[in-house]
Amino acid sequence: MLFVTLGIYRFWLVTDVRRFLWSNTEIAGETLEYTGTALELLLGFLVAISLLIPVYGGIFLAALDLGILGKLSGIIAFAALGLLGQYAIYRARRYRLTRTIYRGLRFHQQGSAWGYAFRAMLWWVITALTFGLAYPFQVASLERYKMRNTFYGDLGGSFEGSGFALLLRGIPMWFLVFAPLVFAVRGFVAVDWKALVDALAQGGDDVMSRIEGGNPGLGAAIVFAMLMAGASVTLAALLYPAFQAVMLRWWSSGLRFGDVEVRSSLHMRHVYAAYARFVGYAILFSIVMGFVGAFLFGVVGVAANLGKVDSAGEIAATLALLVGYVVTALGFSTIYRATVLLSLWQLGMESLQLSGLAALEKVKARGRPASPLGEGLADALNVGSY
Amino acid sequence: MNSGAGTYFDGVTSARRDVVVELTTGGLQVSDRDGHLWAQWPYEEIEGLTAPDNMLRLGRRGSATLERLEIRDPAFAAEIDARSAHVDRTGALQRSQRMRVIGWSIGATASLLLVAWFGVPAIATRLTPLLPVTFESVLGDAVNAQVRGMLDIRKAGAAFDCGIAAAEIPGRIALDKLVRRLEAVAALPLHLRTNVVRRSEANALALPGGQVYVFQGLIAKADNADEVAGVIAHEIGHVAHRDGTKAVLEGGGLSFLFGMLLGDFVGGGAVVLAAKTVLQSTYTREAESAADAYGTELMNKAGGDARALASMLEKTGGATEPGMKILMDHPDTKARVVAINKSAAAVSPSPFLEAGEWAALKKICAGS
Repeated sequence: MLFVTLGIYRFWLVTDVRRFLWSNTEIAGETLEYTGTALELLLGFLVAISLLIPVYGGIFLAALDLGILGKLSGIIAFAALGLLGQYAIYRARRYRLTRTIYRGLRFHQQGSAWGYAFRAMLWWVITALTFGLAYPFQVASLERYKMRNTFYGDLGGSFEGSGFALLLRGIPMWFLVFAPLVFAVRGFVAVDWKALVDALAQGGDDVMSRIEGGNPGLGAAIVFAMLMAGASVTLAALLYPAFQAVMLRWWSSGLRFGDVEVRSSLHMRHVYAAYARFVGYAILFSIVMGFVGAFLFGVVGVAANLGKVDSAGEIAATLALLVGYVVTALGFSTIYRATVLLSLWQLGMESLQLSGLAALEKVKARGRPASPLGEGLADALNVGSY
Repeated sequence: MNSGAGTYFDGVTSARRDVVVELTTGGLQVSDRDGHLWAQWPYEEIEGLTAPDNMLRLGRRGSATLERLEIRDPAFAAEIDARSAHVDRTGALQRSQRMRVIGWSIGATASLLLVAWFGVPAIATRLTPLLPVTFESVLGDAVNAQVRGMLDIRKAGAAFDCGIAAAEIPGRIALDKLVRRLEAVAALPLHLRTNVVRRSEANALALPGGQVYVFQGLIAKADNADEVAGVIAHEIGHVAHRDGTKAVLEGGGLSFLFGMLLGDFVGGGAVVLAAKTVLQSTYTREAESAADAYGTELMNKAGGDARALASMLEKTGGATEPGMKILMDHPDTKARVVAINKSAAAVSPSPFLEAGEWAALKKICAGS
């Protein structure tokens, strides 16, 4: 459905998913309600597009410039779009909160989206410079900003998770991923690149032997560096569910609304189980798609042997290829949503214990619905979620 | 069943109230056990809201607050549904609305594809002649810097351009003579720059702004100067038709159309790329045929042998190219050769270079 309508339908899909998730989320015996509509999202997207056209046009013109501007245009575009993306994330959060109703009152969010965007960009720079070690402090700081501007009616939120606590929980994973990477980089640096390039530049049939002659042990060094890089990537993939579990548990345990406190008892093994289900279904799906693909390929092969492939046949084959790709992509995306995303939401919610619920009894209504422009921007810039 | 239990939220405070709901003739009445009346909603102002499966959640249309009434008894919920026009418990109304949305989306998609297939090339074709030559030069310089960076993959050794070292100067002079003869006939609005570069493929390409690159491999494969001239004439066709600028406009238009409007929900990026490749290769196929025609005509006018372009094509492209025609930049070689030979002039052509000059051109990349 999504492809046939080339993605215009996604606004309805997203709204359906949110309605389902919200109305099946129960807090203290009452469920949440999502009042956003797909039409709002579509409008927000169209407005966002019209605002982005001049930005993209400017970037295009800057790239044509031959001077210093042209050289820097890539960086400027990256920074500008990054800033806009963070701005969009904050505005989109405001939209979602003001469309979230609980006990007849809405949530809302104050604070400046630009203030958040600049903060977030600054933190990303610091995080990049510290190879990710500042990430816990970044999340804690940004989350504090978001939550102290978040309100349920007149009940103000806050965030009490500490970046240091997250750092302590995350640092073993950081070492596991970065240690092999350091070895890999050292391995690559140790290679005598100049000799290698010279050997390649001379050309001829005996390049390999000349490389070996000039650099004894070069092959071993490269293999070692590749192995280490591979180990780093593999460990990162294997540890990702653990990382998500740690993050989710730490984040939910830091949430506060007035006297309402949240504690999470999320188990890492449940997150791994969700990912295992995803991998299982994905493999099953791949096998089915493989059989279908092999069958179609056989048909095309037979037709080609008979010499019956003309232009129409080629167009049909190309279309079949495209449809196959779309079905595969949609299949994996659906499996991911049904297993990982839904499970994480469910696990995250079910593992919560709330205390101080008495504070929820006497909240007064505040806040107004916010515009969906942020959602549109986030969508156009591909930084959206749920 | 004219009354039932419910939960009421007044939309002003978060207080939860267990209430009795009574269905009267004009609307429903919400009151608590002490008899305090909380709300009176006419049936036509009641709307159904999203809720879990086991619950009917009601709100009041046009209300300034978010007052809510929740009914958990299915039989009683059905009673309310039957009386209120805007309560859609079975979802029939929503389904019909959804079908309309899907219909419109398919329509919008069809229109988008039509714009991509016909609109973008049409706009690019009409816009290109309107762009001033100075803009094309600026664009050409930017593209040139990029293309040179992509083509020039050598680490060391002689310069990327041939015809600079002392031993290569005679070759450069021969090339200039050949190009001057073509350029004099072509009467282009901008100055042509032709360079032979050190790349082993038998190929040539034209950039916006009049920059033509002939690869060393093409010179090596050519048997006479007219074959080189034929290929350059073909590239001059691209310059005259401003195909490079057109391609940039088309690429930009398609990127915008597909990339921005569709978003990226299921990793549609690859689909966008595939669609763009298919569409753009059809644009260039037309452009190639047009450049062939122009090149043949130019060779005829310059008094050269237009069939040399055809023989060069046969040498580089092979007799027939198997595989997917739809994804190929250049149309079927056989068809091109036939078309060129058909329109080549029958008069006896005069060669572009003397034997000595041709030998010099052959050595334009010799000094390394």
